[in-house]
Amino acid sequence: MRGVGVRLSREIAIIGAGMTRFHHKLHADKTSRELFVKAALEARGSVDNGFELPEVEALFVGNFSSDAFEGQIHMAALAADWLGICPRAATRVEDACASSGVAMNVASMAIASGAYDIVMVGGVEKMRGLRTEEVTDTLAMAADAVYEVGAGFTFPGLFAALASAHFAKHGSNWEQLAAISIKNHHNGALNPKAHFQSEIMETARKLGERNDMTFEDELEFLRSPLNPVIAHPLRLFDCCPVSDGAAVLILAAGDVARKFTDTPVYIRGIGQASDTLALHDRVDLTTMNAAKIAAAQAYEIAWVKAKDIDVADVHDCFTIAELLATEDLGFFPKGEGGLAAENGRTALDGDVTVNPDGGLKAKGHPIGATGAAMAYEIFKQLRGEAGRHQVDDVEYGLTHNMGGSGATVSVQVYGR
Amino acid sequence: MAEFTSKSYFDFLEEGRIMGSKCMSCGTVHLPPRPICHDCGATEMEWTELGGEGVVQAVTVINVPLSKMEGRCPYAVAVVKLDDCPSISGLVHGVKEGGELSIGDRVVAEFVKEGDKTTLCFRSS
Ligand SMILES: [Zn+2]
Repeated sequence: MRGVGVRLSREIAIIGAGMTRFHHKLHADKTSRELFVKAALEARGSVDNGFELPEVEALFVGNFSSDAFEGQIHMAALAADWLGICPRAATRVEDACASSGVAMNVASMAIASGAYDIVMVGGVEKMRGLRTEEVTDTLAMAADAVYEVGAGFTFPGLFAALASAHFAKHGSNWEQLAAISIKNHHNGALNPKAHFQSEIMETARKLGERNDMTFEDELEFLRSPLNPVIAHPLRLFDCCPVSDGAAVLILAAGDVARKFTDTPVYIRGIGQASDTLALHDRVDLTTMNAAKIAAAQAYEIAWVKAKDIDVADVHDCFTIAELLATEDLGFFPKGEGGLAAENGRTALDGDVTVNPDGGLKAKGHPIGATGAAMAYEIFKQLRGEAGRHQVDDVEYGLTHNMGGSGATVSVQVYGR
Repeated sequence: MAEFTSKSYFDFLEEGRIMGSKCMSCGTVHLPPRPICHDCGATEMEWTELGGEGVVQAVTVINVPLSKMEGRCPYAVAVVKLDDCPSISGLVHGVKEGGELSIGDRVVAEFVKEGDKTTLCFRSS
């Protein structure tokens, strides 16, 4: 079945962006509302010609499960309350790990419809209140609870199964996944907002000293018991960490954006598609159909092709997910994503830079905040404000946010 | 006739039967059973019994478990394509280390009762 794309009848601009650092300990003393407020205040402060929170006409908040993590639902109204912008309409969006990527689309459509001129959109997750097993259980809620989790699949297990299928059909391998992890840690080391800010060799040296081991190179460390198998073939360094954090964007209709800044970043195209929750209901386990369709929609609206994209933030909850995304978004032919990563084609100076901020792997993945944090990164990249991980000559950027094991995908294409 | 629900599916497993829903319009078989055809959208379904033999389509061995599986690691879970059509997920018994079970390996169904629930599992054949 073909997807149904959206027409954007007004220009949509990002005029400000803010995010907390993503981290597992730093925000131990904060709740979701406080993290969201922190990111929102940074977004307000980033608007070149000044911005006051009451100028926000509506609020959209992506949130995966403050229900399970904090015993708190109703996150959007709570955020509006603590931002002091009641009685503005506040809407929570939940599409698993794609919650704030979808919220970006909903916010864009809210402007395109003419309903609002200025909206705030963001995402937040506070995950570290639970024990690891409880986090594993909560994450698994994004899969089919009855027929997948009931059968024994964990969330990493589903992606490990996808990796097994891709390896078998396309001859890709774990070393290619390791290349993705090494690249994303390298980028994270250049990003002050990232959860992990160290090269893998630095971690290898530190952990090696503690365990009386030395490593010649990254692969030797990544093959060692210090990088345990979580779900074969995925090891710890193939998985994103559990992080707390929030990210917030301020969007404005094109005709009012210039009042706030001379350098807005435009959302040129959006796309979104769904797929079966359960992997066993899909025809092909080596491709994410929702990503292909969402990307095709966004490219068509933006009048660009995959080869026009200079920088992309893609949803690498697991290394195999980045490999799949780079193929499904059309950056590389099916089966060549792993090789492309291994050959540096997705590096900061590659053909198309993927996850310059470290990706979910190194930047962290406070689930509901991830889609918005991707938009934050592309906003900075297109304005030349990304700092040490700035990519040269960026004309078009893309974000790809995935829910569950691909049952929801949102894509946005950005330009200046 | 039993409704095409998860309750019916698990009740049949309890009897040692794998039952799917078959579209009366296009013949597509759905497992787990569902009331609307994936392929043609028709809503007239009938029950059909499936054999328990199949082939591994995707597989992993899990070392960090769900809380309900604590103490049982490592365990293998696979997406299995049954010979008479659809695919389904299930534990695969008798696999301890990664690599012992590969894509394309044949498996056969086992009905495992734990507490008051019977689940569909597999064993290397
Ligand atoms: Zn049918």
